[in-house]
Amino acid sequence: MIKIEDLFVRFSDGSGIRYRDMCFDTGRSYALLGASGVGKSTLLNLISGVLTPAEGRVRVDGEAVSALPQRERDLFRIRRVGYIFQDFKLLEDMTVQDNLNLLRLEGVDTSDMDALLDRLGILRLKKRRVNRLSGGEKQRVAIARALIKKPAIILADEPTGNLNYDTGVEVVKTLLLNAGEGTLIAVTHDDRLAPMFDERMDMNAVAEWVPGGEARQHA
Amino acid sequence: MLSFAFKSMATRKAKLAMTALSVVIAASVALLAYNISTQVSEGIVNTAAKYDIIIGPSGSATQLAMNTMFFTDKPLGTIPYSVIDDLNRSGQVNAAIPFSMGDSYNAAPIVGTDPALLSDKALLKGEMFESPLEAVVGYDVAKAYKLNPGDQIISSHGLSHDGAAHADHPLTVVGVLRRTDTAYDNAVFTPVSTIWELHDHHDEDHDEAHDEDHDEDHEEHEEHHHAEAGEICAVLVRSKSLSDYAALMSYYGDSTDYLAINPNTVLREVMDNVDLSRKIVYILCAVILVMNLFVVSVIALLNMYDSRREIALMRLIGVSMGKINRLYLIQNALTGLCAMALSLLCAHLCLWGIRGFVSRMGIVLNAARVYPLEWAILLCVFALSILPTAVLTRRMARKDSLEA
Repeated sequence: MIKIEDLFVRFSDGSGIRYRDMCFDTGRSYALLGASGVGKSTLLNLISGVLTPAEGRVRVDGEAVSALPQRERDLFRIRRVGYIFQDFKLLEDMTVQDNLNLLRLEGVDTSDMDALLDRLGILRLKKRRVNRLSGGEKQRVAIARALIKKPAIILADEPTGNLNYDTGVEVVKTLLLNAGEGTLIAVTHDDRLAPMFDERMDMNAVAEWVPGGEARQHA
Repeated sequence: MLSFAFKSMATRKAKLAMTALSVVIAASVALLAYNISTQVSEGIVNTAAKYDIIIGPSGSATQLAMNTMFFTDKPLGTIPYSVIDDLNRSGQVNAAIPFSMGDSYNAAPIVGTDPALLSDKALLKGEMFESPLEAVVGYDVAKAYKLNPGDQIISSHGLSHDGAAHADHPLTVVGVLRRTDTAYDNAVFTPVSTIWELHDHHDEDHDEAHDEDHDEDHEEHEEHHHAEAGEICAVLVRSKSLSDYAALMSYYGDSTDYLAINPNTVLREVMDNVDLSRKIVYILCAVILVMNLFVVSVIALLNMYDSRREIALMRLIGVSMGKINRLYLIQNALTGLCAMALSLLCAHLCLWGIRGFVSRMGIVLNAARVYPLEWAILLCVFALSILPTAVLTRRMARKDSLEA
């Protein structure tokens, strides 16, 4: 279970986002909906430990992940979180298999790579450099990198953004299938895909943008 | 991790090659500058240390020292061979070695002397010369012209290879000297009597030519000093004691016919006279070194800045800074090691390339010689190749993954 408690994040310009307390249950999937800039991606960054909150906590199974030292948060992310970034965050000059094998540096078992790539329809691209792939192919590589470690938490930031509807449906199905007993939280703008998730969360209702001056007062 | 480091390097082949090339150029220039200046200084000092007096005809002390020590420049003129007999009879010398020069073999000077001049030199092949028209050749001469005992060489009159050839009086190579890394490697040694014989013969031809045509070349020959029978260009002396040294210096030094010099003193004076230029060379070497080390560190730092996106990306997916640090340390260390090896190789190949040119000036450079300071320079280069990795990754580790 992931619990968000009195969470506030501040940006370099002084502004920030305050989140209402919320909870993501294990074994369920969530679609985060809302306008651009409302704080959907920021929430995923906070949950994964990529960003450190100015106030409040993110608890995962009772542990305050956001309060952990940097190294511990890195370990949490590599061991328990499969994060699909909106802009993929792939090593462009390396091959698909190298991008996945990068996780072996931290002891992740990648022996199921071929089966996973096959399921995602990109096995033939295994030895191709990422900078030679289309946007949709890159997205599937990013998904493969997130899923190969069989994470307990899957965070997906617009995982279908570069795909057509039919492929998007297939990708969401794959994510839901791989989430299994874990938690899937996906940001999406596609209202047609949102019903595939167990729950839909309107971020406009749970996140409040705080302008620079107020954020400083708040702090 | 090593295989991933190699894969990561393979994606940046061109950039890494350019980096290594820049480092190699920078470091090898520094190594070359230091090595040459050190070997030249050492060569001069070592060569001059063997004799305490050189006696020759009156003239320039520097010319006499350079001619007898490094076989460069022209001889001052001649003195009677009887000087050697006088010295031996005096009982004040351990050695009085004749020195005569005036002919050459393919620009390598032919030195007329006796085997005592080569007493501290070992033979690589063959034996020491004994009779007229026998010769022992220096290591580089033998190597350059593939000479072996039993081969014959035709000498030319004068110290350039375009002089008249003594074709009727070939010298027979009887021995080859081991490499000495001195001017001896680039010279041919023969008994003094060979020089006398060659010049007796040459003068006969010369007289005939004189009768037939008095041309410009002929006038040049007239200016050329060579030892006639019973004459030599100089005597290299090792005196028995300090008092003998002083007495001989006084006796020959006071004579108007002779010039007696201490080669150490003369060469030291020469070095002192060029001290300013030597200092300038050293300062330039130091400036080159500092600039090159700066270039190396800037290149390494720029490379690491280029890798910031990659590092940030690895952090985002959860790879620890320790692993990232090690990954880049391996990559930069491999690049640094390659650059080190190539710099050393490049500098010493250049040294090997220019040694032929320098040996003509009497100083033989040993291309295989590596000084401790060269290793120190290379270690600096290596340290500068990996230092930016540690600095930058440490800085990035302090930031959030997304900020990094």
